[in-house]
Amino acid sequence: MTGARRTAQDVGEFRAEVREWCREHIPAGWREAQTGVGEEEFVAFQKAWFQELRRAGFAVPHWPAEWGGGMPVAEQIVLYQELAAHDAPRLVLAFVAIHHAAATLLAAGTDEQRRRHLPAILDGEIWVQGFSEPGAGSDLAALSTTARRQGDGYVVNGQKVWASGAAHADWCLLLARTDPDAPKRRGISYFLLDMGTPGIDVRPVRQATGESHFCEIFLDDVVIPRTGLVGRENEGWRVAQETLGAERGMTMLELAERLGNAGFRWLVETCARSGLSGAPPLEDPLVADRLAGFETELTALRALCRDLVERHDAGTSGPADASVVKLFYSELLQRMTAFGAEIAGPAAHAELRKPLSSGWESGAWALDFIGSWEWTIPGGTSEIQRTIIGERGLGLPRESRSG
Amino acid sequence: MSTDFSDLHGELRAVARDLLGGAGRDRAPGWKAIAASGWPGLEVPEALGGSGATFAEVAVVLEEMGRAAASTPYFGTAVLSVAALDLLEPGPDRDELLRGIASGAALPAVALAGDTGTAVAARPPFRLERSARGLLLHGDAAFVPDAAGADRLLLPALAPGGEPVMVDARPDLAGIRVTAQPLLDASRAFGRVTAEAAVVAEGAVRRFAADPEAAFRHLGDRAAVAVACDGLGLSEAMLDTTVAYVGVREQFGRPVGSFQAVKHACADMFVRVAVARRLVEAAARALSAGDPDGWVAASMAKSYAGEAAVDVAGKAMQLHGGMGYTWESGVHVHLKRAMLDRSLFGSPAAHRRRIARRYR
Repeated sequence: MTGARRTAQDVGEFRAEVREWCREHIPAGWREAQTGVGEEEFVAFQKAWFQELRRAGFAVPHWPAEWGGGMPVAEQIVLYQELAAHDAPRLVLAFVAIHHAAATLLAAGTDEQRRRHLPAILDGEIWVQGFSEPGAGSDLAALSTTARRQGDGYVVNGQKVWASGAAHADWCLLLARTDPDAPKRRGISYFLLDMGTPGIDVRPVRQATGESHFCEIFLDDVVIPRTGLVGRENEGWRVAQETLGAERGMTMLELAERLGNAGFRWLVETCARSGLSGAPPLEDPLVADRLAGFETELTALRALCRDLVERHDAGTSGPADASVVKLFYSELLQRMTAFGAEIAGPAAHAELRKPLSSGWESGAWALDFIGSWEWTIPGGTSEIQRTIIGERGLGLPRESRSG
Repeated sequence: MSTDFSDLHGELRAVARDLLGGAGRDRAPGWKAIAASGWPGLEVPEALGGSGATFAEVAVVLEEMGRAAASTPYFGTAVLSVAALDLLEPGPDRDELLRGIASGAALPAVALAGDTGTAVAARPPFRLERSARGLLLHGDAAFVPDAAGADRLLLPALAPGGEPVMVDARPDLAGIRVTAQPLLDASRAFGRVTAEAAVVAEGAVRRFAADPEAAFRHLGDRAAVAVACDGLGLSEAMLDTTVAYVGVREQFGRPVGSFQAVKHACADMFVRVAVARRLVEAAARALSAGDPDGWVAASMAKSYAGEAAVDVAGKAMQLHGGMGYTWESGVHVHLKRAMLDRSLFGSPAAHRRRIARRYR
């Protein structure tokens, strides 16, 4: 059936299957259980949920069939729609492993690298992305972590930041400079780094929300064997470019479905609760107007995501399609959570923790709003996305730049 | 199925762009050329000389008309009239009129008021009264698309029994007056239709085939989505012309489009158009499929595309700089048309009010 065109009836049957699975397997009350818990409980819950999804064939549907995936795109769309509609926990911890690491290994890894890591990821191996540095954010190619050839391997020195989940990671996707004299994009190599290697120091960074998912990774004479190189030496930039977009289709669809389902539902519920003056905010025509505007934009966002996935699958996506979706989602999330915080009022500020394992909108609107910058800043800031849309999507002249 | 349609849409779009764009703004193709293209009969059954297509295809033509800011009576004559006639009980008079529209011989207009205070008009603008002189028609509809040039009027009216019907009348019928309404948007024609105790024959009263209230509301949704299509098309035109202009216009020794402020403004226009397109296409699909929730999609498309078109055309004027503000640049044509689109057949706020009724 893989790759075959599904009839509406097939998809309808699959939807019914997923719905039944969701009703039976999504842990009741998981949001309350994941609120205010420690890191250990979060990690245990994430790993257990991943295996639950794996048993159903829902953990890595986007992987090739030979590695345990092979779900047709039409069914993947249904899967994420239903997981969102039933407010399932999100796969947060495994995110980099099943998307970035897998995409990198499948596109540029050796057979040995794939055999070693893809099954391990299914068994729970956690990955972190070691790309950004203090001096290399939007200008990622300016990174200065070095990997010096020594014997049959490399010796790495430098510092990585914004490494989400590094504290729990087994492996790291690492970009490091192997040729300091080459133009900046041509001297970078792509490595798989075992986080158990001596010389690695991981320190949590507290974020604006008060949580500490991000980490700094300090690398002091860390040795990577030659087998850890992905692709050819000094061609890491190209590998990263090819695999960075891996998460953009289906994961954006999942996030859009979540924002459009439970996210919007909570926003309406928040507005329907009695306000400070006694009357529900929803009775205010201005509030109703804002909600209708959000629902309209969410409807379009979901259509844009389905389009992105289908065009990606058909090989007809445009050069700025992913940027349009990322930009629109990020800013819509920010505007919606801002509105939620405004409506919820001071009470939203008394919610000091949001549930872990949830999406970017949890109903703890003040924290959700603060957390929304975690979308408008990383993965190419909104400003970078606009530049990409202008230059690659519309063909506008580039600004002169180095590299 | 969907592939066949998207092929057909692509072809339709290419032909439309050629015919409308090639003629230039001041020399829009005549009705004869438009009729020859088959657009007026798109939704007319094949047996009556049409092509038996759906509103989804009409939507493509409407978009291209907006793109070209074309001066044609297509909206009032073909889109609204055919939609209205398709909702009526079949009969020889109705079929003859449909045949006439498809061939280009008939130029009817539906006296649907464009200045509804609500998303779609709650009740028809005309009413029928039974009297000793026979059936009398009263009422008034302003901002009626393509009314002044019409050779036939379809007037939505409340029958003496209280249900919506359509009255088929000649514009020169005693008691009916049609006056042109000159508007800032000179690319299209609107008129006011007034009926003061006009005597109409019993046979001129046409009944809707199904639930008359729902049929009348559906007509309002059609009008709203048709205007949304126009707004989408003209937004795309404004985006294209702006991108072309800022790519060649130089200041400070480089193309202004290389400045981030200008580039990012263009990116925002691009996103706005992409979002509007998804909503307009979904609404056109929903209405052609007879989706019972089609009205939600219609209100989403009308409210978003209407505002987006004004934003995008306004941004186009800004990014064309001093040149953009001149009459000669023509940006004002699209801006005025976008502003009128936003106001016609339900303001964005009115459509959002309708969407929000579902939250209670």
